[in-house]
Amino acid sequence: MKTKRSVSQARALWAEFRQVRFGVLGLVMLALFVLIVLFQPVLLSKADAANRWRDMTYWLDNPRYALPVWVNWFTGRDYAVSKIIPASSVVDSTSGSLRMQTMEFPYEFKAGRPPSDFMFKVGVTGRVSLAMEIVRPDGRTVTYNKSTTSEGSQILRISVAQNMMDRVFAMASSAEDPAIAASRNPRQIDSIAALFGKAQPGILSTPEVLNGTYTLRLQAALASPTAKIDSAELVIAGGVQGLLGTDGSKRDLWSGLIAGTKWALIIGLLTSFISVAVGVLYGVAAGYFGGWVDSLMNRIFEIFVSIPLLPILIVMSAVFKPSIWIMIIMMCIFFWVGPVKTVRSIALQIKETSYIEAAHGLGASHWRILFRHMVPQLIPYSFASMALAVPGAIVFEASISLIGLGDATVVTWGQILFDAFSSGAVLQGIWWWVIPPGLAMAALGMTFAFIGFAMDTILNPRLKTR
Amino acid sequence: MEKERILEISDLELHYFTHKGVVKAVDAITFDVRRGETLGVVGESGCGKTTMGTALLNMPTPPGRIVGGRILMDGQDILKLSENEIRRRVRWESISMVFQGAMNCLTPVYTIEKQMRETLQQHRQMERQEARERMKNYLNLVGLSDDVLRRYPHELSGGMKQRVVIATALFLEPKVIICDEPTTALDVVVQAQIINLLKDLKEQVGVSFIFITHDLSIEAEVSDRILVMYAGRIVELGTNEQIYGPQGPAHPYTQRLLAATPRLHEEVEALAFIPGTPPDLIDPPPGCRFHPRCSVVMERCAHDDVPLREIEPDHMVACWRCFDE
Amino acid sequence: MSEPILVAENLTKWFPVKRNLGQVLRHERTWVRAVDGVSFSVEKGEIFGLVGESGCGKTTTGKLIMKLLDITDGTLKLQGEDVTHIAGPALAQHRRHVQMIFQDPYASMNPRFTIENVLMEPLEIHKVGKDRAERDVWVREILDEVKLSPPEEFLVRYPHMLSGGQRQRAATARTLMLNPSLIVADEPVSMIDLSTRAEILAMMKQLQREMGLTYIYITHDLSTARYFTDRLAVMYLGKIIEMGKAGTIIDKALHPYTKALIGAVCEPISGKVNQIKDVPIKGEIPAATNIPTGCRFHPRCLYSVPDCWQEEEPTLDDIGGGHLVACRRHGEIERLGNAARTSEASLGLRRTA
Repeated sequence: MKTKRSVSQARALWAEFRQVRFGVLGLVMLALFVLIVLFQPVLLSKADAANRWRDMTYWLDNPRYALPVWVNWFTGRDYAVSKIIPASSVVDSTSGSLRMQTMEFPYEFKAGRPPSDFMFKVGVTGRVSLAMEIVRPDGRTVTYNKSTTSEGSQILRISVAQNMMDRVFAMASSAEDPAIAASRNPRQIDSIAALFGKAQPGILSTPEVLNGTYTLRLQAALASPTAKIDSAELVIAGGVQGLLGTDGSKRDLWSGLIAGTKWALIIGLLTSFISVAVGVLYGVAAGYFGGWVDSLMNRIFEIFVSIPLLPILIVMSAVFKPSIWIMIIMMCIFFWVGPVKTVRSIALQIKETSYIEAAHGLGASHWRILFRHMVPQLIPYSFASMALAVPGAIVFEASISLIGLGDATVVTWGQILFDAFSSGAVLQGIWWWVIPPGLAMAALGMTFAFIGFAMDTILNPRLKTR
Repeated sequence: MEKERILEISDLELHYFTHKGVVKAVDAITFDVRRGETLGVVGESGCGKTTMGTALLNMPTPPGRIVGGRILMDGQDILKLSENEIRRRVRWESISMVFQGAMNCLTPVYTIEKQMRETLQQHRQMERQEARERMKNYLNLVGLSDDVLRRYPHELSGGMKQRVVIATALFLEPKVIICDEPTTALDVVVQAQIINLLKDLKEQVGVSFIFITHDLSIEAEVSDRILVMYAGRIVELGTNEQIYGPQGPAHPYTQRLLAATPRLHEEVEALAFIPGTPPDLIDPPPGCRFHPRCSVVMERCAHDDVPLREIEPDHMVACWRCFDE
Repeated sequence: MSEPILVAENLTKWFPVKRNLGQVLRHERTWVRAVDGVSFSVEKGEIFGLVGESGCGKTTTGKLIMKLLDITDGTLKLQGEDVTHIAGPALAQHRRHVQMIFQDPYASMNPRFTIENVLMEPLEIHKVGKDRAERDVWVREILDEVKLSPPEEFLVRYPHMLSGGQRQRAATARTLMLNPSLIVADEPVSMIDLSTRAEILAMMKQLQREMGLTYIYITHDLSTARYFTDRLAVMYLGKIIEMGKAGTIIDKALHPYTKALIGAVCEPISGKVNQIKDVPIKGEIPAATNIPTGCRFHPRCLYSVPDCWQEEEPTLDDIGGGHLVACRRHGEIERLGNAARTSEASLGLRRTA
């Protein structure tokens, strides 16, 4: 009977909620965020992106500062897309006691701009000598040799941009105007651009792209009996990658954003809910009881307001291991003061109304007056301040992360943003690092603001006509 | 002894355009105001009496709009004047208004002198000294001493503040002053004093008043003629004697309203009352708007719109019953 | 005469005024003497009126009876029991017996409550009725009683969806839920339209007769007081200055203040337009922090003589027939009529009035 009643009440509430358009919009947005959290594994570009966000080695294959892929669709600038190319052919042979393995990795280059790196990634065990040869469409080649010995398996990354500058320079110089070639040195040129440039004067200074098939030939000499090639692939780090590009540490920002959604919701909701609930109850109690209770509660409130939060947090982080949960607790301990003053003044007003007096006259207990009469009046305000506290909490977590007190085991939007700021992304115009997390915060804040205002419209009967 | 008509209102219509529909707050109202008289306007809350007051100054509160009619003053239609001209020649110059609760709207941080001068300077260029003399004159006229000028509103009692407001309304020597519930928030004794003041002013200054109130007994004390409004329309307009005299008012609504007004010196067993509530002005009942609550309703009341007709000199009624004889 | 249901003796409420530093150092204390020694008794089944201007202490007296404020001094007895300083369960009991109707019915109901919530509240607070079904039946009965029918239609409405008259009916219904013995009605009709005012008063009167209720009717409006009450007490600056049968007080008032009040009332009678009303009073009501010595009305009285401010404050004396008046000169004033007005008072009064 009782459940039936509450079900019908909930249904009525929903029927009314549906009438408020921006409230529905808020709900849709919230549902989207929740869906993102639920489908996080599917949405991430790499399986461990959420857990290994701060592990730089995890992201080494990515280009640095790559634009989002969709930039190509709008600008017509035609950046090379990131690609991982497996061996097209593997040939085993022996040359005396030496086992040899030959592999070929063809890369079809068709873009207006060269990729940001051309990288050979190989996993080896034992003593191995690698002889690499890059054959350009025009037949020119760049070679590079490397020998390595290791007990177990290791992964080698041989990148044109980092390891083959001299060889590329040598290759390109032969085509360049000798005067210019003589005035340059391998450190001054863009070796990737040169590798993918037309063999003509200007290849060192103003290279034009040469489209066609670039083939990496690898000849591996397996010198020890146990030596073997575990894996081998050609990694083309493009100029664009992923839905939101990459940051200065080569991380895929889309994955970061997706992984951060969960924490944004947890931090925002938990902190704002707990702190607003505590603050509202505190404010109502102070306003309602008045007198010395009010004075005492006000003093306590003032102490909390005047304590600077940051030093406390620094001390706390020295005592505890920085953890997101400790941070949420700390934020609640200091954030609850937010609504107190306003709530107290609203409570003072409500207290003077004659329906509170009437309730007194009927013999209602303090408890009843507080929770039946006063707190419900504050629900709209609570929703509004919760909605406003959500972005606040997210940003605060971000600033804590900035001073190195963030929880390194999780990804948050704030951390992404502050990474961006600390590497000067704004000054460098790396908008795709700054705007998406900012927009996400704004969207989440708006979501709660919409829901808050919609609840206000519904729960405040004076705005209703019938 | 027909007195000069200084304000003639005909077919005045003011509608509020709300999202629920058009509220016909003032619906085709015709009457006049004569020199040196007090015209009382009575009716229950929501009958359109205050709305009509603001319409006379052509300043309806949004979403209200005057949609028809004429307000003739000195043969000129106020409603045809530009906003600028109205401000310059009509508002406060010819017609001023004492708004309901105006005494509580005095700016707390200004002295009375400053508040009054502000109104004055909006309209007339005047030397400071001359303005002060004028203010003193009018304050004295309403029974306040000169030193009130230096006071702040919180230092004055409710009655004194109401006098200040009335003095401000008198200031530019208008022909008509509209008083909207000027005594409602005041205690009986102060109320009586303000009533005496208005009577006195009528005699001394010769200004006409439109006195809006919900209280029939106050109208009996102050008004020469009484206009009874119901649901946006005039139901009866008659002299004090015609309404309050021994033969009583003609319209059933006025009769019932009067019967519902308690009398001090009369022992009554049970007061009469009017059952039901005033109609919704978005969709008023057809015919006579009072017919659903009327106890002497006839068949034609329910569908024939009832006109306001003169049944004896100076006595207009809108009731089919009264026309039938 | 039946036994009194409520007896107030020397009921007093002083509010402390916030002091500035100088006053604290000088150990000065000022008080707002809102209710300054009020004594009266209310019989079972009668309607007792408290009238006076704003600030005379009538509402404070009502709240003292309701025990919404602490009593500074004096005693209050309800049905023979001393309730002056009760607390806890006794206070809860008191609140079942004494109910209040507030001036603004809209403000007195939580805007978030439906009428059903409003009416259920007293039952829930005092845990009356064994279950929801039983309470439901009572709520419907009471709604019928105050003529808000059909109940189903009103139960689900919020206060703002009712008209003024309906709201006051609902507020009255709430006070009846606990079957009280005394109802304090503070200006119950002052915010209601004239056409329905009489209807509400008639309903209240009918309920009083049917249910044997006792009302204390607090008002500034002498006209409704005369119609509604059996006995009247006129208050001025925290004290009752005249008390007696409603008709007697209004038709044969003795105290100059009561006379002034009555003179000031407007009546719907023709032929008064061209007369200036005679309101025999001067000046304005003084602050309750600074009550005049002697008779507290003397600075405004047109009949005051030095005795009035030099001697003790006059007591509320019975002059026969249950008519009590607190005026030293009431006899003389009656005999001499207007001639008794002091010369100072009769000068140029019309303008200063």
